[in-house]
Amino acid sequence: METGKAIWRERRVKSLLSSGFLIEKAIVLLIVVFILLFILYPIFMVISTSVYNRGVLSFENYSDLLSPFNLGLIRNSVFVATLSSLLGTFFAFCVALHVFFQKRKWGELIYRSLMITMISPPFISAIALIMLFGRRGLITHGILGLSANPYGWQGIVLLQTLSQISLASIMLISALNSIDSRLIQASRDLGANPTQTVFRVILPSIFPAIMSVLFLFFTMNMADFGTPIIIGGNFNVLAAEAYLKTFSAHDIGKAATLSVLLIPPAIVAFYFYRKNIGKINTLSEGARVLKGAELNFRLPLVIKAFIGGVTGAFFFCMILKYGIIFLAATTTNVSGELVFTWNHIEAFHYRYVDALYRSLHMSIIAGLLSSVIGILLSYYTHRLKLPLMKSVEFIASLPYIIPGLFFGLGYIVAFHNEPLLLTGTMAILVLNCTFRHISVGNKAANAAFENIDSKLEMAARDLGTSRIGVLFNVIFPLLKSSFLVSFINTFTKSMTTVGPIIFLATPRNMVSSVLMFHDITNGRYGLGAVVASLLIFITVSVNLVAIKFLSKEKEEKPVTDKFLGKERGEKHVAGAKGFN
Amino acid sequence: MKKWITVLLVLLLVVSLTACGDQEIQGEDPVVSEEQNSDRLFEGTTLELLVAYGGAENAFDAFMEATGIEIEWMSMSTGAALSKLQAEDGKTTADVWFGGGVDSYLNARDLGYLEPYKSPELSAINPQYIDEDGYFAGLALVPAGFIVNEDLLEELGLEAPKTWQDLTDPKYKGEIIMADPAISGTQYAIVSGTIQELGEDEAWSYFQELDKNIDFYAKGGGEPQQKVAAGEFAIGVTAIHGRTFNIGETSPTREVFAEDFIPWTPAPVAIFKNTDNLEAAKALVDWFLSREGQEILKEADARIMARDDVDPPEEMSGLDRSKLLDFDLERMGREREDILNEWEELIGDR
Repeated sequence: METGKAIWRERRVKSLLSSGFLIEKAIVLLIVVFILLFILYPIFMVISTSVYNRGVLSFENYSDLLSPFNLGLIRNSVFVATLSSLLGTFFAFCVALHVFFQKRKWGELIYRSLMITMISPPFISAIALIMLFGRRGLITHGILGLSANPYGWQGIVLLQTLSQISLASIMLISALNSIDSRLIQASRDLGANPTQTVFRVILPSIFPAIMSVLFLFFTMNMADFGTPIIIGGNFNVLAAEAYLKTFSAHDIGKAATLSVLLIPPAIVAFYFYRKNIGKINTLSEGARVLKGAELNFRLPLVIKAFIGGVTGAFFFCMILKYGIIFLAATTTNVSGELVFTWNHIEAFHYRYVDALYRSLHMSIIAGLLSSVIGILLSYYTHRLKLPLMKSVEFIASLPYIIPGLFFGLGYIVAFHNEPLLLTGTMAILVLNCTFRHISVGNKAANAAFENIDSKLEMAARDLGTSRIGVLFNVIFPLLKSSFLVSFINTFTKSMTTVGPIIFLATPRNMVSSVLMFHDITNGRYGLGAVVASLLIFITVSVNLVAIKFLSKEKEEKPVTDKFLGKERGEKHVAGAKGFN
Repeated sequence: MKKWITVLLVLLLVVSLTACGDQEIQGEDPVVSEEQNSDRLFEGTTLELLVAYGGAENAFDAFMEATGIEIEWMSMSTGAALSKLQAEDGKTTADVWFGGGVDSYLNARDLGYLEPYKSPELSAINPQYIDEDGYFAGLALVPAGFIVNEDLLEELGLEAPKTWQDLTDPKYKGEIIMADPAISGTQYAIVSGTIQELGEDEAWSYFQELDKNIDFYAKGGGEPQQKVAAGEFAIGVTAIHGRTFNIGETSPTREVFAEDFIPWTPAPVAIFKNTDNLEAAKALVDWFLSREGQEILKEADARIMARDDVDPPEEMSGLDRSKLLDFDLERMGREREDILNEWEELIGDR
C-alpha cells in the first residue's frame, strides 16, 4: 500500500512536466472560467440591476418589496404550487404503482409513453384547455352545451398537475425499481397482505423519492409563469407578475427585484430536494431488484382499479391535448365549427424554415457542449477531487433552480458590451441553453462514476496512458449512455424553451419556439400549432432513437441496470426545468 | 471506442467553427456601392426591425423591391422591447422600431435610446402625430372601440353597446374583457384619453363603475379581440385596425366605434440611436411616410394613415373623425406612472 502511494506520488511529479498535464490544467481552467462567466456573472448582473439605478446604488426597489400586494402574490403562488405539487405527486404515485405491477412489455410501453408526454412546448396545454373547455370549448360548449369558465386558480392547478405527472411518474418508477425486493418478499413471508405491504414497506421505502418529487415540483410550479398568464384570469401569482412587469413596467429594476423574490423559495425547496435524493442513493445500496410483476403480488381490486383508472385518465388527457394541437394546426374555427384548412401550414414560409433550422442548430450544439462540460465537471470534481470544484459544481446547478426568464435577462445585461458583445448572435442562444442545462450532464455523470471502478483508470495509468489519455480513452467511452441521456435532455429542452431566450432572440437569430410564442400571443393559434406540432414531431423522433440506443446499452451491460434506472430519474429531473 | 471519440472531437470542432462563423456574419456589413441611382442608394443593406404593427410585414416586400434594402424583423410588444432596451442600456442590434404603443416611445426617447430624424415627408402629416423634436413620427392612427361577438350577444339576448357609458350597464356583467392598462400600451392610451376627455373625477368614477362588469383584465392588448373571436367574451375593448377586421372574416365578430368619443393612439416609427445603418434607416422612415409607402402600408393593414392626402380605408368608413379625442401625447406620457398608480389603488389587482 505504502509503495503504491509512493509510486503515485512519483508519477505525479513526473506528470507535472508533461504536456498532457498542461492540457489538463487548461481544460480545468477553461471549465471554471466558463462557469463563472456564463453562469455566475449574468446572475450577479441581474441582481445588480435591481440595486443600481442608472449608476447610483439604491435599495429603493426593495423598500416596497413586501407590500400587501406582493405578499398576496406570494400567498397565491405558494397556495397553487403546494396544491398542484401534492396532487401531481399523488397521481404520479398511482401511475408509477400501476406501471410497477404491470407485465414487462406493457409496463415498458407505458414508461416510454410517459417519456414522450414529457415533451410539450410551453403554453400549448393552456391553449388546449381553453379550446376544449372554454366558454366556447369543443367539449363544454360543442358537445355538452355548457358555458364554462376555466379561468382561475382551478385551471392553473389542473394544468400544472397534469404537466408534471409524466416526469414525476418516471422518477417514482425508478425509485420503485430500486427497492430491495427482499424487503417486499420478507414482508409477505411474515404474513402481511399486499395492501399492508404497499403502505408499510413500499411507501416508506420510496418516501424520500416522493418528497424529492414534491419539492422539485414545488420549485417548478413557483417559477411557472406561462400557465397562470393564459388561464389564471384574475388570480395572479408571483412568477407571472414578474414576467409581466418585465414586459410592461417600463422599469427593468423593479422587474429584476420581483424576480429576485422568486429565488429564496426555489433554493429552499431545492435544498430539501437534494437532501431527499441523497437518501435514495444510500437506501438502494446493495439492493436486490425484482420487477413488481415478478413478485407474485396481488393488489386488492379497489386499489388496482383506482391506479389503473388514474393512469387511463392521464393518458386520455394527453391524447386530448396532443390531438387538439394537431387539430388546431389544420382547422379554423368558423362560427363555432371546425373547418379543414391548409392556411396555417402554407403560412409556414421561409422565416419559419430558417427559424426551425436555427432551433436545431442551437439545440444540437448546446446538447453536445453541455454534456461534455457536465461530464468533465463531474470528473474533476468527484473523480480527481480537485479543491474548490464542489463550489463550482454548485454554481453550475444554479441556472436549473432559478426562473428561466431571470437567467435570460442576465445574459442581456451581461453581454451587451465589448469585449463580450454577444447580443443578437447565435452564440448567445447556444451558450444560454448550454449552461442552463449543464447540471443534467453533471448529475448523470456523477451517478455513472459511482458505478465505474476507479481501478480501471489506475490500470490504464499503470499501462502508461497519460492522464489526458485516460480521460479520452477510458472515461468518455464508459460514459456513453450518460452522454446520450444528457444530450437528449438538453436538446429537448432547448428545442421547446421560451422563457430564458425570449430576450435573446432578435430578427437575426430567431428560433422556432420564440416564433411560436409570438404567434400564440398575437392570436395566430393555428400557425402556433403548426410550429408546436413540428417541434413535437422532431423532438419525439430524436428521443425515440435515443431510447432505442439506451435500451441496447442496457442489454449489453445488465449489471448497470439498477444504476441506469436511478440515473435516469435523476437526469430527467435535471432536465425538467427547461419548461420555464 | 476510438471511433466514438473521433466523432466527438470532430463534432466539437464543428461546434467551435460554427460558433465563430456566426459571429463573423454578424460583423459583416454589406458594402454600399456608390454608383447607384438615388432610389437604390442602400442596395444590399440589411435593416433590423422590431415590429409591433400587425400586418406590416405584408408591406415589407414592396419596400425591399423599391429600395433594395433588406428587412429582417421580429414582432415584439413595445413594452417588452423597452425592457430589453433598458437591459442592454440602449445598445440594441435593431435599427428601426416600427409601430406599437407611443408611451414606450416617449419613455425610450427620455432615456436617450432614440435618434431624432425629421423626415422631409413630415410636412404632409398632422403635427399631432409627431414628436416635436423628431424622435418619432406617426405612421398611422389607431382608433379604439369595441369588438363584439354577435352569436354570443344573440344567445345572451343582449344588444351591442353603442357608447362607453353603455359598457357600465349591469346587463353586461361578466361579458366584457379589456386589457390591463399597466401591461397594454393601447389600453393605457384609452384610459389616458378618457381622463383627458372627461376630466379626472368623472373618468375615475367611470372606470370604477366599469370595473364591476369586468371579471378580469387581459394580460395583453391583443387578447380581448382573440377572446371575443373565440366566443369567450361577448364584448372586448380594443384597438381597431386591419387584423381586427380580418377576424370578422372567420368569426361572428363586428367592430363598434363608440358614439360619444373615440380614443386613439398613433402607430409610431423611430430610429434607434445605436444603429449602424442610420442613412438606410432614414430612407426607410422616408419611404413609409411617403404617399406611395403609406398607400402600401394601408393595403397591408387597414388603418387611417398619418398623411392627410391618403384616404381612409373602406373598413374605417364607419368612423366619424369628428369624434376623435383631442389627445395630448406628451401629457399621456408624463402622467403614466401617476395614472397607473391610481389605477392600482382604485381598481386594484384583477
